[in-house]
Amino acid sequence: MGSFRYILRDTLRLITRHWGLSILTLLTTVTVLFLLGLSSLFALNLRHMVNRVEGELVVQAYLKNGSDASGLAGRIRSVSYVRDVRVISPEEALDRLRAKLGNQAKAVTLLGENPLPWGLEIQVEKASFVSMLVRDLVALPSVEEVVYSGQLADKLSRISVLATRVSGAIMLLGAIISSLVIFNTIRIALYSKSEEIQVMLLVGATRTYIAFPFVLQGLFLGTIGAVLAVVALASGYAYVVSVLKATLPFVVMLQNQTFLLKFHLILLGTGMTLGWMCSWFAVTRFITRAARPS
Amino acid sequence: MEVRIAGITKIFAPDIVALEDVFLTVEKGEFVYLIGTTGSGKTTLLRLITREIVPTRGQISVGNQNLRKIRASELPYYRRSIGVVFQDFKLLPDLTVFENVAFVLEAMGVPPRIVQTRVNEVIDLVGLWRRRFLKPMQLSGGERQRVAIARAMANSPSIFLADEPTGNLDLHTSEEIVRLLLSINAAGTTVIVATHDQYLVDAYRQRVVELHDGRLKRDEKRGRYVIDGEL
Repeated sequence: MGSFRYILRDTLRLITRHWGLSILTLLTTVTVLFLLGLSSLFALNLRHMVNRVEGELVVQAYLKNGSDASGLAGRIRSVSYVRDVRVISPEEALDRLRAKLGNQAKAVTLLGENPLPWGLEIQVEKASFVSMLVRDLVALPSVEEVVYSGQLADKLSRISVLATRVSGAIMLLGAIISSLVIFNTIRIALYSKSEEIQVMLLVGATRTYIAFPFVLQGLFLGTIGAVLAVVALASGYAYVVSVLKATLPFVVMLQNQTFLLKFHLILLGTGMTLGWMCSWFAVTRFITRAARPS
Repeated sequence: MEVRIAGITKIFAPDIVALEDVFLTVEKGEFVYLIGTTGSGKTTLLRLITREIVPTRGQISVGNQNLRKIRASELPYYRRSIGVVFQDFKLLPDLTVFENVAFVLEAMGVPPRIVQTRVNEVIDLVGLWRRRFLKPMQLSGGERQRVAIARAMANSPSIFLADEPTGNLDLHTSEEIVRLLLSINAAGTTVIVATHDQYLVDAYRQRVVELHDGRLKRDEKRGRYVIDGEL
């Protein structure tokens, strides 16, 4: 218990002793984590929008006369990347046509019978699967024709991949920058206390006792930095969503509160982990070197 | 605790021989002056006992512990049994006298109330009660030395090592310091003092171990300060 009190006191001393450096580290951590969160939110929203459009992407397959539409639908449904398959009967297709064209649709039934074929409406999990599905459908003997928005699907697929890569790179860069900042702050604190550490080792302080205040300092800076970044990000995001709702209602942003809460908790966890890991790494390295007998 | 040094050789890279084939036994409760010219190996010997450095050859055992075999995790506990007064004091400039002494006990996890009592006790013993809230920069050389002694005494060590504890001090202060070391020894603590102070060695006659170029040259009960090459 006594040791714990001393450790907390020494942590506070470390933070306040170099308060300028602590504030600078805090500001940098907040900025980096904010940018990290911002880029992640941007990528997540882009992904959300792409997913929405992808969800509405439909591949239509028209079947040859006499084909077993239900049987084929069942086979397609079993494909892993297929989300949904709907069988469209000629009657339903005619109803849709009527709804779309009005009186002009009567021209289709002039001959007395419905010429429209059986069809399938297929939705896939991701736009990138569309071309694969189309290739397979075209090869089927019972399929007469396949209609899909090929270019749109390809573009969406490319945007989705690019967004994932860019946000991944930004996240990695952000993590590296914040790690370096925290690592260096702890290192400076360690160097400024190197004589003290040396004496502590010589008078019988354990490595854990020496290391703890530095690790707590890193954890503190990482946590406070992450909390401030999360607060800024959450309030900024809420503001942007409300503005977009009012001005660009067709832009549907990610608003799932549970998901956003998880996202912010992950960002907080990232800040804490970075702070803890960097300081732990810096202090362990330093103490191991200082304690090594020559 | 007794100190047994058996055939110790310490060579610093690339080929500086600091100690060569030294055999020495210091019994529990003994007071030993370690004398010799600068570079004779006195500080190296003390650093070997604290296991700040390890010997190139030979064995050192303190009490029942063979320092070669001591594990890194056991080292802090071993060091708590030794009180060290460093040549350059190694006081922490940002801490007060009280904090400098308390810090050893805190590092050992001693509860605050006991720290308070013990630190006040040793500060009083070294005569710095009135100066306990001053920082090292505000103290004289002799006072700093006494803070270093108080710090080394704080955890009641079994062995007390002092490297030039009277270096750069006036005669009166030096005598006070040595009397303090003798009183520590009188309480049963083994004391090893590396010194150049001829007056004190001769005034307070104790066992004298002389090193010369890293070799043990003389080991004499109630010896005098006589060193070849020194006037």
